[in-house]
Amino acid sequence: MSLKPKKKNNGSRAKSQARPGGPLSGYDHGEFFCEMFGRNGLSHTRNIREQLAMMDAATLRHRAKDAERELFNLGITFTVYSDRDAIDRILPFDVIPRVLSPKDWETINTGVQQRVAALNLFLKDVYNAGKVFKDGIIPEELVRKNKHYRPEMEDFVPPLGTYVHICGTDLVRDEKGRFLVLEDNARIPSGVSYVIENRHLMMRAFPDLAEGVQLKEVDDYGRQLTSALTQVAPKGVTDPTVAILSPGVYNAAYFEHVFLAREMGSPLVEGQDLVVEKDRVYMRTTRGLEQVHVIYRRVDDAFLDPKAFRPDSMLGVPGLFAAYRKGNVTLANAVGTGVSDDKAVYAYMPRIIKYYLDQEPILSNVPTNICREPEGLQKTLDNLENLVTKPVGEAGGYGVVVGPKATKRELADLRRKLKADPANFISQPVVNLSVSPTLIGRNIEPRHVDLRPFALTGRSTWVLPGGLTRVAMKRGSLVVNSSQGGGSKDTWVIG
Amino acid sequence: MASLVARFGWNIFWLGRYMERAESLARILDINETYARDKPEGPDWLRILDLYADTERFLEAREKADAASVSSFYVLDRDNFTSVASSIASARENARSVRHLISTEMWTHINMFHNSLGELTHRDLRLNNLSRVCTGIKTDCQTFEGIAEGTFFRGEPWCFYQLGKYLERADQTTRLLDMGYDRISDHDGEARGSIHWSVLLRSVAGYHAFRSLYPAGSSPSDIATFLLYDREFPRAVALCVDRVTARLHELETRHGHSRHKSVEDARRSLAFTLETGLGQRVTPTRLHKFIDDLQVALGNVSSQICEAYLTAR
Repeated sequence: MSLKPKKKNNGSRAKSQARPGGPLSGYDHGEFFCEMFGRNGLSHTRNIREQLAMMDAATLRHRAKDAERELFNLGITFTVYSDRDAIDRILPFDVIPRVLSPKDWETINTGVQQRVAALNLFLKDVYNAGKVFKDGIIPEELVRKNKHYRPEMEDFVPPLGTYVHICGTDLVRDEKGRFLVLEDNARIPSGVSYVIENRHLMMRAFPDLAEGVQLKEVDDYGRQLTSALTQVAPKGVTDPTVAILSPGVYNAAYFEHVFLAREMGSPLVEGQDLVVEKDRVYMRTTRGLEQVHVIYRRVDDAFLDPKAFRPDSMLGVPGLFAAYRKGNVTLANAVGTGVSDDKAVYAYMPRIIKYYLDQEPILSNVPTNICREPEGLQKTLDNLENLVTKPVGEAGGYGVVVGPKATKRELADLRRKLKADPANFISQPVVNLSVSPTLIGRNIEPRHVDLRPFALTGRSTWVLPGGLTRVAMKRGSLVVNSSQGGGSKDTWVIG
Repeated sequence: MASLVARFGWNIFWLGRYMERAESLARILDINETYARDKPEGPDWLRILDLYADTERFLEAREKADAASVSSFYVLDRDNFTSVASSIASARENARSVRHLISTEMWTHINMFHNSLGELTHRDLRLNNLSRVCTGIKTDCQTFEGIAEGTFFRGEPWCFYQLGKYLERADQTTRLLDMGYDRISDHDGEARGSIHWSVLLRSVAGYHAFRSLYPAGSSPSDIATFLLYDREFPRAVALCVDRVTARLHELETRHGHSRHKSVEDARRSLAFTLETGLGQRVTPTRLHKFIDDLQVALGNVSSQICEAYLTAR
């Protein structure tokens, strides 16, 4: 109930005209691959196109407003790092779903599983025998001098050899509709809560849109995650206590931490709630101390344990890392996985997959120039205005320069940075990301999208059907990060 | 089910307290507005500041206590930690921390409530509108309580929520009685104008119950007895204390807690104060003293609970 008197509707709400053929009739995706129409129409989206054709833009707008209000009331938030005060920013939600065919999903599902298997074998190798270096697959200093490399992890293998329990693989689609891996997120990938909340929102706002469509469910994530984490519990623990470690309510992804705690039925703790005694980890409860066996930590490596890493960390638990190395607690993801999703290491992933699995990669990389190598640097400097240049080791799209969209000044600035510290950069051709019809004001317009499927690994790997579709809400923009003004869509996998 | 993290017990306890506090404050402002309807600059607005021991703090930054300044101090002022806006903001921050332990509907409502308070302006608090704003706040608090009643899982967190709620409610009833009693009674405990009786009783939704219990007329001490001891009246101190006792018992019998002597001692002392304190002839002086004792005993139970269960050690 509102405490304010309701403002009278001034009656100026414009009625939009229903177009023949529905709101999609004026839609033009140009030279891009469209998630709804492909290049010239896709059979698996026929059903939803027909449903959409029966609505007018005003209905869509109206129902979208309902969904937005629901998000606002739920307080679903995403902090923008540059704006500390705005902790209640809503990730914009677009009401037109992105639909994947069974064949699309087969490629993504098997491709992601393959990639995660390779990442885990790679991590075990680089922190132990280092065969991948001896065999000349990847330069040793690229990995072991990387700022995300944790020498503290050497000569230690976590349960089942699983390092990356939760992985988010960022995929894009080129103008031919091929899926390409943009980057791996093997540290603390976030966004899975939006996948499930978006589906709930969609089913409430548009129950009719999914009529007659066989959709793969997304509700199983919490159970699958608990099951994976139970499998990696310390030896001899059959009924482990699993806790989620959050940096706290002011963290950007706190909404997601809460969501996970609810879906998993696990306690959500902060560093101050945990204590280590005799290399065992305990949780401070209303009944005193209780042992914790598996921690899904949403705190960065550096802040996990002031005794092992940054001594100034207020978020961590003193002694946690020692307990981990003793095998008394399992951390998910393992410490030091950042070395595998580094943008510089990314370039070597196709060879890493072949090396460990003796298979061709199912999902290709975007061709990448490694600026630490003279040839890669030269190519980058020669084509700066045509390439996307990224600093390695930065998350969330920060510092990315899209050549064709950059000003002369930005390019000059980048050129200077590249020459000063070439090893900090990679560059890639601009991928003409696929577009998806998106409700903009009263119109439906093409907007660029990507896809982040989420993979869970205990004994084996399970991929949540679909994933997070992020959409760049600005016309022509290729930056989909929520911290940079991106929104999201429900992602449908036709089963 | 996994054990309750002590800090979350704390958050839930205070969620219960803050929601109850906001509702009571709205009740007190509402009743004061009724008393002071025709004299926006009268002494009544100072009285409410005295009730919460806020007079000094209030006058530091302001020249005078009138309807506009006091009501905005207690409704809107985010710099005043006792205002409705601050209480609801604190309730919401506590709720955010335990978002995974309360129902989505509880969280959604408190979020909406908080947002609607953020839209209020000083204009909305004009005297002829204050009562409506207070009613709105009350309704939102009660809606929250109803949602909690219908959706909050009855586990250990619920116990701490109830403990916070009833300790706060008992405390607030004593404050309301403290403020109202001077108006309904002269120095010897004899009755004054009956309009004040009905205002006081209506402010706690007790008018009809009281009338049906005392159809033939009554004295100020009957009203005090009713507000303190009537175990069928939901805001009576005795009923609140019974609920606190029951929830503490439940922590032992259903949630596997061992008995804490410190908590039990404090609870016994509260029960003793309540049952033996008031005496036959109630004068305002005696009542004020009694209420002071009760408030100390209530505060002691609260701090012992926090110490025994909710402070991570």
